[in-house]
Amino acid sequence: MTKGDKLLIVFIVLISFSLMGYFKMQAFSDDDKYVSIQVNGEEIKRFIFDSKLIGQTIPIETKYGYNLIEIGDEKVRVIEADCPDKIDVKQGYISNIGETIVCLPNRLIIEIKGIDSNMEVDIIVR
Amino acid sequence: MNKLHKIVFVSILVSIGLGLSVLESSIPLPIAMPGARLGLSNMVVLVTIVVFGFKDGLKVSALKSIVLMLVTGSVSSFMYSISGAILSCIMMYIAYKYMSKIFSLIGVSIIGAVAHNFAQVSVASLVMKNLRIYSYLPFLMLIGLFTGYFVGLASIYIVKNLKKNISAVFERF
Repeated sequence: MTKGDKLLIVFIVLISFSLMGYFKMQAFSDDDKYVSIQVNGEEIKRFIFDSKLIGQTIPIETKYGYNLIEIGDEKVRVIEADCPDKIDVKQGYISNIGETIVCLPNRLIIEIKGIDSNMEVDIIVR
Repeated sequence: MNKLHKIVFVSILVSIGLGLSVLESSIPLPIAMPGARLGLSNMVVLVTIVVFGFKDGLKVSALKSIVLMLVTGSVSSFMYSISGAILSCIMMYIAYKYMSKIFSLIGVSIIGAVAHNFAQVSVASLVMKNLRIYSYLPFLMLIGLFTGYFVGLASIYIVKNLKKNISAVFERF
């Protein structure tokens, strides 16, 4: 290992930590949050966390694949998927603004966003 | 080394890379993160670039992605894998050719791993039309550091022995 390698490693570590800090700062917010479910870049569902919704599941079935999303107490996760690697299932719950669950094969993104004052959010209650 | 020898050698390298890719997909990673992988097949591409040059490196990495798609049957991950393969191949070649005084193969391999992650994340955010995907990049880069380090270390030993053996083999023809 040469000096250049060590410098490169330090450089990459610095860049990744500063990027992490940047994304953390961008996401930092105490505002109300909502969950946005997107498939192939289009938002197909959005909802805010509610005590009535705890334990509810939302099936997402598109031409790209099938995922089953479960809503918990101020958190959300994927419990079933037909993608080969199941990374979205293994990722577990997300709860903070800016966090995402991504299922690359099914082109699914579950994202927690902060609510702007002039935005309407549907609540799904079944 | 005539043309036929080279074709055979490149095909063998492609199949080794393919075998490593299939093998690594059955090794579970402790971290659940889209796009995180061991990158064992990167070893083959790196060795090809060093021993045979850029053109064959590109051939091996592109062919490996295409055949991997046929083996696993996941067309959607093909986009991510081929973009990563091509960018990492180009970056590794540039780093090896022009900066080999600064970096050993470990550095070259780390550059390749990071380039692979960057291309994958960029394609994913283009496909999903969501810039949030980039928030995975720093984590993927840190994982790429570790895997890239060990891939580079292994490549140093492979190249050392392969160069000796290859010249011995081809002198016989």
